[in-house]
Amino acid sequence: MKRSKGLLAMMIALLLVLSACSGGKNNTAAENTSNTGKTDEDKASSDAGAAKTLSIMWWGPDARHEATKKALEIYSQQNTNVKFKPEFMAWDAFWQKLPTLAASKSVTDVLQMDAAFIQEYVSRGVLEDLSDIDLSGIVDPNVIDNLKIGGKLYGIPLSQNAQGIAYNKEELTKLGIPLPKKDWTYDEFFQWARDAKEKLPDGKYPIGDTTTWDSFNYYQTAMGIDPIMSDGGKKFLLDKELFMKFYKAYEDFRKQKIVPPADKAAAFLENDPNADPMASGVVMTRGATTGSVSALEQLMPGKVGVVNLPTGPAGGGWAQSTIFLSVSTDSKNKDEAKKFVKWFITDKEAGKVLGLTRGLPINPEIYKDLEPALEPKDKLGKEIYNQSLDKALPFYAPAPGFSEWVDMYRKEMEAVTFGQQSIEDAYSKIDKMGKELAAKAGGQ
Amino acid sequence: MSAKTSTKTRLEKWSIRKRKNSEETNIAGYIFISPWLIGFLLLTLWPISQSLYLSFTEYSLLSEPVWIGSDNYVKIFTDDSTFIKSLSVTFTFVLFSVPLKLFFSLMVAIALNKSIRGMNLYRTAIYFPSLIGGSIAVAALWRNMFGADGYVNQILAWFGIHGPAWISNPDTSLGTLILLNTWQFGSTMVIFLAGLKQIPQELYESASVDGAGKVRKFISITLPMLSPVVFFNLVLGVIGSFQTFTSAFIITRGGPINSTYVYAIFLYEKAFKHYQMGYASALAWILLVIVAALTTINFFASRYWVFYESGGGRAK
Repeated sequence: MKRSKGLLAMMIALLLVLSACSGGKNNTAAENTSNTGKTDEDKASSDAGAAKTLSIMWWGPDARHEATKKALEIYSQQNTNVKFKPEFMAWDAFWQKLPTLAASKSVTDVLQMDAAFIQEYVSRGVLEDLSDIDLSGIVDPNVIDNLKIGGKLYGIPLSQNAQGIAYNKEELTKLGIPLPKKDWTYDEFFQWARDAKEKLPDGKYPIGDTTTWDSFNYYQTAMGIDPIMSDGGKKFLLDKELFMKFYKAYEDFRKQKIVPPADKAAAFLENDPNADPMASGVVMTRGATTGSVSALEQLMPGKVGVVNLPTGPAGGGWAQSTIFLSVSTDSKNKDEAKKFVKWFITDKEAGKVLGLTRGLPINPEIYKDLEPALEPKDKLGKEIYNQSLDKALPFYAPAPGFSEWVDMYRKEMEAVTFGQQSIEDAYSKIDKMGKELAAKAGGQ
Repeated sequence: MSAKTSTKTRLEKWSIRKRKNSEETNIAGYIFISPWLIGFLLLTLWPISQSLYLSFTEYSLLSEPVWIGSDNYVKIFTDDSTFIKSLSVTFTFVLFSVPLKLFFSLMVAIALNKSIRGMNLYRTAIYFPSLIGGSIAVAALWRNMFGADGYVNQILAWFGIHGPAWISNPDTSLGTLILLNTWQFGSTMVIFLAGLKQIPQELYESASVDGAGKVRKFISITLPMLSPVVFFNLVLGVIGSFQTFTSAFIITRGGPINSTYVYAIFLYEKAFKHYQMGYASALAWILLVIVAALTTINFFASRYWVFYESGGGRAK
């Protein structure tokens, strides 16, 4: 009796360990099976002849979901043999789901793609070459040339996008702080922040702190130096002198309370009514893109102004297409999928329904139709684009295989903002890992 | 003599029949559990063995796995500061949250073991928070409570204390998660409650006759009688806390810096953010070994403090 009870307990414990440890894997397996089910279904529908089902997946906010579903209905009305199986979700969920789909070779026929990830997925053979789609008269040939990866086009650009800075126009004006001016330089930007601090009450800050790689990359490239990653990740260059100068400036800002303290910054959550750095009234400026500024405008209607990113001798910021529609190499309906992605940026009716839910439509004709009815929140997006265009540098995405480095950069810089490590130490860790990755990618 | 033989043959016959019967019962038994068995083999054992293989490969999910021998393990143990960091965060979490949760849920269980009118309602109400576990709503609630201007700091401000931004401060962020885990005491509490109900009332009665007070009764009767249940909850708690993921993932995302970067988040990000499935599998196996080792230690240690009534005392 005594022995058997102990044995039983031991067995239960072992089972617990095993089943608990396998929990996560069960989920993946389940997901995979459900995906396989889907591909079978697709196969069946393409075998049936003219009737086809295109699966399509995108990320975005609700407004984009609703508009896109309406556009799909229009396509089905025009092509009665085509039905859609849409899947839509938020950004995070999308990029968590896509790798598993890619691994099980069940990526949807059509999928939305982002400039930050397209290189990675092209390098892994997930995306179909779309170079043979004729886009003349729809998209500027220069734009297409810029988007080609290894001479081929893997994503149909949907919109124009640009990065800028949004500022709290109302409050700055009230306090008599001059508004930022187009094409301001980094020196002017830093000086503006110092001057603004003197007029701001305690607990309010002119600018936010920075811990992510891209904001330093903007600085490095604006100063006329190569981007941190280039040549598909084979080249890595983190300019030490500029790095020290840039983050030393922010270190001073932290001391002078020009940027919010680190624990306050860590609690910010963009586009959350209470936790957004700007909408909560704590910080006077924050980064915003053509595609995202409307969400901020809705939180503080009529109070937002925009300006392009600070510039250097080489220019600054970017203004180009960053959202695409791609076709999966696993698709059984490639021809229909290609027809659809072209239609998506050509059809006027669809253009009207989609509006600016993915930024300024890439097709000038469609944009012309929309322009008279633009709302203030959409005009801000256009304003960022217009201000950024003439000084714009290319959009620099993380190179394939650098996703971990991107995370590590943020964490090391966070440790700096919390005063737990020196800028120099952060530099040597970030630089070391970057060089290792570049060496692994086949560079020197 | 003859009577003895006949008894023997009868006994033999009986035992043969019994064996036959039990063989049939065995087959029927296996058929009955086959749905579970097949599920276990295909969905649990197979993926587990698969992950053991993958832990010796480099596998990006999008291309085929490449065999690299023990490289993953070597790298984890010799050249990965994040591994050490996440392990120490996890150990800290386990070390604080398990005893706290055990203590807290035992206290609540004792309080709920009284017969008062409407006790079922109280039990339901107190169990309720555990149902909503690691949800976005809880994450939002925790932010509201422990944010820089959260309720906790507002209350502290009445006493003139200026509290930190609990969640977004690397020194206190893990503490808020430990607190959250302790608050989710429901299922542990229910098991304690069931254990308390099993303790025979006579023991308390006779102790009262001998003049034992409340504390004495708790120490000399409740605790020893409950020790198998405490042990069960301890083992479960250690295993569960080692794999804690949801709260750290949705409330702090492992940050700020790496202060709440628990092992399971490290493993998850390696696998599904950076697509290093081989490396992540190796991490999973290391976790399995750690948890199994700790569970074994727990079982050995239990000899010295767990009391099994039916076993006549200490456990074997």
